[in-house]
Amino acid sequence: MTRTLAGLLLRAVVVLAGTALITFALLWNAPGDPAQAIALARFDALLTEDVVELVREEAGLNTGFWTAFWGWVGPLLTLDFGRSAVTGRPVWPDLWTSITYTFPLALAGLAVGLALALPLAFLATRRPGGVVDRVAVAVASLGAAIPAYWLGLLLILVFAVHLAVLPAMGARTPAHAILPAVTLGLGVAASLTRIIRSGILEARGQLFLPALRRRGVAPGAIGRDHVAPHAAIPVVTVFGLELAFLLEGTVMVEVIFGRPGLGTFLVDAIEARDFPQVQAVVILMALLFVTVNLIIDLIYRAVDPRIGAHDA
Amino acid sequence: MLSVEGVWARRGGAVALEDVSLTLAPGQTLAIVGESGAGKSSLIAAILGFLPLWKGRISWDGAPVRACRPALVMQEPRAAFNPAHRLRRSVLEPVQGVPVERLRRLCEGLELSEDVLDRRPGEVSIGQAQRVGILRALIASPPLVLFDEPLSALDAMTQKHTARLIAELQREEGFAALIVTHDLGYAVAQADEIAVLRRGKIEEIAPPDVVAQAPRSAYCQTLRTAAISLGALEA
Amino acid sequence: MVAIVGPLLAPYDPTAINIPKRLAAPSAEFPLGTDALGRDILSRLLYGARWSLGLALVVSLIGLCVGTVIGLVAALGGRIADWAVMRTTDTFLAFPELVAAVVIAGLMGAGTWSLIFALSVTGWMRYARVARGIGLSLRTRGYVVQAKLAGLSPLAVARWHYLPSLVPSLTVVWTGMFARAILGISALGFLGFGVQPPTPEWGTMLLDARVHMRSTPLQMVWPGLAVVTCVLAINLAGDALRDALATEEHAG
Repeated sequence: MTRTLAGLLLRAVVVLAGTALITFALLWNAPGDPAQAIALARFDALLTEDVVELVREEAGLNTGFWTAFWGWVGPLLTLDFGRSAVTGRPVWPDLWTSITYTFPLALAGLAVGLALALPLAFLATRRPGGVVDRVAVAVASLGAAIPAYWLGLLLILVFAVHLAVLPAMGARTPAHAILPAVTLGLGVAASLTRIIRSGILEARGQLFLPALRRRGVAPGAIGRDHVAPHAAIPVVTVFGLELAFLLEGTVMVEVIFGRPGLGTFLVDAIEARDFPQVQAVVILMALLFVTVNLIIDLIYRAVDPRIGAHDA
Repeated sequence: MLSVEGVWARRGGAVALEDVSLTLAPGQTLAIVGESGAGKSSLIAAILGFLPLWKGRISWDGAPVRACRPALVMQEPRAAFNPAHRLRRSVLEPVQGVPVERLRRLCEGLELSEDVLDRRPGEVSIGQAQRVGILRALIASPPLVLFDEPLSALDAMTQKHTARLIAELQREEGFAALIVTHDLGYAVAQADEIAVLRRGKIEEIAPPDVVAQAPRSAYCQTLRTAAISLGALEA
Repeated sequence: MVAIVGPLLAPYDPTAINIPKRLAAPSAEFPLGTDALGRDILSRLLYGARWSLGLALVVSLIGLCVGTVIGLVAALGGRIADWAVMRTTDTFLAFPELVAAVVIAGLMGAGTWSLIFALSVTGWMRYARVARGIGLSLRTRGYVVQAKLAGLSPLAVARWHYLPSLVPSLTVVWTGMFARAILGISALGFLGFGVQPPTPEWGTMLLDARVHMRSTPLQMVWPGLAVVTCVLAINLAGDALRDALATEEHAG
């Protein structure tokens, strides 16, 4: 067990290192003069050649690639994300604030998604191939094809503009979070429904189930002890992938609804060529991802022999 | 001449071949006999360069075996062919262009009508497929041909027939043949020399009449008794 | 089911268009109305198909080629090459594709080329995984061994013996990626990172429409609807394809 753990950790580290390198290289080689962009964002009207040079030196943009890289990674290992090239303020506090906006929204979206997907998947699998099932699959397929931003806009149109029931832009009140969460949730629900449904169907198809039924085991117990755990495995695995969609969706939704959070943080940082901030967000996301996938990998391996499930 | 000297090889963590040495002269037939798992496939893989050697050396006339363009006849006849290609195409893969005369002669020698070649692997009988496999092996006139259980997939009658064809072709073409088989009777009938493989080691190398009558190693004796009781070998 | 691919072809009709651009005040005389600059929305929608769909096609095909090659290198190249390729794939996968694309496109400056680059770079991984998986299983097939013995160059072996078996599975992956590319291109367009005005593209059209949400809400509906229809059609076609291939495997 320790060997696999070590192997997985090594993989995670390599992946993170690779991401850091690629991100840095990308920023370094981006067309356009980053110093100018930063200077513009900082000083606006006072832009002269000297100012640009000053910015360049301050941001460490005139050193070599590797020096700059280590200059960034070093402090990073002690969780020091550096300072924003534009505002000069440390990156971490602002980043943290963004996270406090994004995280709850993502969770809310996930909650909405699950609240919709679980019952729907359950109802659908009660009678596979029946009306409810086919409608559910159709709706899920439709949901997967709808871009989040369009859905968001439509919801804003209907609820905020026409019916004037819910607020649209900004994040002032909790009520402001309803539309974004619903937008997110609907998208998540679409893919989750399909996954849970197929997971349940597959678990139902296990060969030893009819034998259990014949022996007189109650249907409830069968569902609880044999179907549910087996169905949970692929669901948990795909959960890791769903996280990607959740993250993407949240970022998108934030931008649409004008909410502060990682999404707007990132977009603004990109436009201002604020290297430290962009790098911080990227590395943070990668870290989150790799960690979640690692945990899922471990759960999967731990659960696997107990249930005797086959390899995915 | 094929020369295997002190070869050790590993497969999947376990020792597959242990200090194996043998030689095969041009035009001669060497049979490798052993039970399942004895290492026969590993030996073929090692000779053809598909299994890296841990120790020892394998060469043909001093050079790596692949340099002489050896051919392989496989156990499962149809698996040797790409199911999407017609047999003619697969047969001609080892050569540039179409050696019309040679193709005709070999087909004759293998008792195959040429239109069999226009079919796909799934459309011919196993016996035909194996003969096409032999055709493909010989089309480029290789000096060395390896046979991995060439008769195992065939029924008894076809076995005898195919064995005869192989022997005839060898006399005509003069290639060196290394035949891996679990059938002691076949080995005794065809080979100039028999090497008995057991758990990756060579137990004995001897001419067929010695193996048939008075094998030295105890294992060989067991093999012989088993073969006699199965009727594969005459007492 | 495959007949549903029909609606996919219908919007993609760049020829049957009246004068595409004209500056005038917004009005509701044209079939779908006009946008803020008086351009006929229907025409823009149809022309936009060329961009939204065409670019998506290009991007997904680039991903296909790159991914397949990488996957095959992993399968055929030996343990070290395999490990290196798998780690690289993992690295690229460690990131939500769209966010990465946003970062890349944003940094490279808005425009078509950065769009193509960003989406291709984030889209090859799935193909690589599939190609590698199938490649590894094919490596020990009899006819592959025979081909190698016959002296075929690795390239020839790949071309004649690996590729045909890869095509079915890769096509299924491709349909999914094509749909994702459509969504990706319009998403980036909506964020302002993609194709630039005045070029019509469904995502950017949505961006324009958003400004006038209160006055002409209907404007917002059409581009989104176009995206949904196409993506849905492709996904359904992909599912049908997958089912057809599965039954073939059982029968064959």
